[in-house]
Amino acid sequence: MNRTRLAAVLAATVIIGAMTACSSGTNAGSGGGSDVLTLASVDQGSVEDVIKAFEAANPGVKVNFTTSGADQYQQQIRTQLASGTAPDVMSVWPGNGNPGATYVLAEPGYLLDLSDQPWAARLPDAVKSVAGYEGRTYNAIFGLNGIGAIYNQEAMRKAGLTPPGTWTELLTFCRAAAAKGTPAFALGIQDNWVTQLVLYALVATTVYGTDPDFDTRMQAGQATFADSPWSTAMAKYQEMNTAGCFQKNPLGTSYEASQELVATGRTLGIVQGNWVVALLKGKNPSGTFVLKPLPATDDPSTFVMPAAAGAGYGVNAKAKNKELALRFITFVMSPEGMRVFNAKQGSLPSLPDSGSTVDPAFADLTTFINDNRTVPFMDQLWPNAKVQQTMLSGLQEIFSGQSTPQKVLAAMDADYRAGT
Amino acid sequence: MLLFAFVVLVPSARGVYYAFTDWDGLSPDLSFVGLDNFAGIARDPDAVQAIWHTVVIAVSITIIQNGIGLLLALGVNSLIKSRTVLRVFLFAPAVVTPIVTAYLWRNLLGPDGAVNSLLGAVGLGRWGQDWLGDPQLALWSIVAVIVWQFAGYSMVIFLAGLQSVPKELYEAAAIDGSGPVRRFWSVIRPQLAPAITINLMLSIIGGIKLFDQVYALTGGGPGHATDTISTLIYKDAFTLGEFGYSIALAVVLTIIVAVASTGQYLVLARNERAAS
Repeated sequence: MNRTRLAAVLAATVIIGAMTACSSGTNAGSGGGSDVLTLASVDQGSVEDVIKAFEAANPGVKVNFTTSGADQYQQQIRTQLASGTAPDVMSVWPGNGNPGATYVLAEPGYLLDLSDQPWAARLPDAVKSVAGYEGRTYNAIFGLNGIGAIYNQEAMRKAGLTPPGTWTELLTFCRAAAAKGTPAFALGIQDNWVTQLVLYALVATTVYGTDPDFDTRMQAGQATFADSPWSTAMAKYQEMNTAGCFQKNPLGTSYEASQELVATGRTLGIVQGNWVVALLKGKNPSGTFVLKPLPATDDPSTFVMPAAAGAGYGVNAKAKNKELALRFITFVMSPEGMRVFNAKQGSLPSLPDSGSTVDPAFADLTTFINDNRTVPFMDQLWPNAKVQQTMLSGLQEIFSGQSTPQKVLAAMDADYRAGT
Repeated sequence: MLLFAFVVLVPSARGVYYAFTDWDGLSPDLSFVGLDNFAGIARDPDAVQAIWHTVVIAVSITIIQNGIGLLLALGVNSLIKSRTVLRVFLFAPAVVTPIVTAYLWRNLLGPDGAVNSLLGAVGLGRWGQDWLGDPQLALWSIVAVIVWQFAGYSMVIFLAGLQSVPKELYEAAAIDGSGPVRRFWSVIRPQLAPAITINLMLSIIGGIKLFDQVYALTGGGPGHATDTISTLIYKDAFTLGEFGYSIALAVVLTIIVAVASTGQYLVLARNERAAS
């Protein structure tokens, strides 16, 4: 008897609890304010201007936004999506392979279908393939990004050096720069996502320069990381380290600190994505920077640059303010929004007729993209997020002498084979 | 009791259930995998390493933080002049949010940070280290930051215990001709027993559950050199989407905390009884 009564009380409590939860949720949804948009972004240094322009174009609208680094953001957004507290608009990476990627978030239904937006039909095929999932478009990709060696031109002039054009020249350049007390490249691999950039820049040429179908062969199980030129690229990364290409103690240096090093000319350059240039100019407004391919062989005609659709914006399927979220997305994809974003990030516009002009610092990248000598960031086509995480912590372990390239590549192969 | 059941027990039990599934944290379908996740932990070198780091951190924080806390308490208890100022000064770090102090120390401990610059300025430049980037040092740098922040906290608890020691006892012992060490051991230590119990319990549980400071200082790196059970739980769940596995790790953590704190409580409670 007692037990029955207890059960009834428990059941009633659960039902009341559930009802309260539902009603408060609905209230929050409808009463959240029709002119407040919430947004989470990884575009530090550029999204601020886009928001300002959007607010100016939409009087009375307020955008509440947060920005953070990539690894922090990826963990945060998953927590928020899983707990129903995600913002209306959020940065979403193209393709697959990382925890904030389009496939990963669209598959369980977290993203709003954007296929009927006017810009969706105009995306180039290469971009559309990574902006959607199962034929629907979910990601408003506004720019294309590339990874390369970025040089501080004033520091280069002071050191009397010019950007190297071949692998051999690169090593000579590193030694000369180190001898002058200003190392060639800043490397901030305390933040583990930074570890992959030099490797990607080398892999683009060593792997895809001779084998453009490497990913297809990987997917078919006909190739492995360990028995491919990935190991050559790993060896070259180590060779750069021993040649003194990087400043001392890269593992204790954060992404932020590495920007400081190159912006102030304490290193001559940095191997990074074009997005860092906006941040460097913020730290050194009078500085000029130029992006070049990182040489990985002695034959420049084989060079390939990692360049791919950059992170775009998706709309939360449960957005509190869907109408405003779509208005923001439309603004991002409009010529005006795209111009602000791409000018600030130095990226190339994803829509061919956007009317944006490209920063002359990225002339080389533009040429490579137009000549079809680029390869998407490697992780965009990997089957799960673990391959990349294994690579990132593995590279930190190699740099601290806790692991070897062969071990790391073998572990990446194991994770790759584990599939989705 | 009912509230406790609904707020704590039921969600916890449901959580434990997920440790036996392959839930990815996002999709609604999951399947029961038995003890696979726990077997996976035993086989996963990163997890075993993280458990070891957790033990090392918990034990060293407990010893060092309480040792320093006790010395500080004895110091500010006896000093007459400026002791109030000193107490506030020493307790101040404990008031600041751990994540804030951790980010602060991340900058101070950088290769070009204030710590190395200071060493250089006083002519000890060759003692400069890559405090957070060297896998041999990083764990100890984290321990140092936590001790810096919370030694003052232990101090306050010890200080409260010290002030409850009756002056007469102390004076009587002094008249009987016992020295400071003897007075500490025979008079103060037994009276401090409850404070010792609380301090050890708090620091060992805090040490085992440690997350914020590690995450902010090193992110568990370089590689996995400073991963604790908590940082691994977070990464496995939210970066890799392996919620089942990560909840299994959380269950292991809960068991470790329960065993450590119960064992410690039993030992210290016996000592307290013996002392009183």
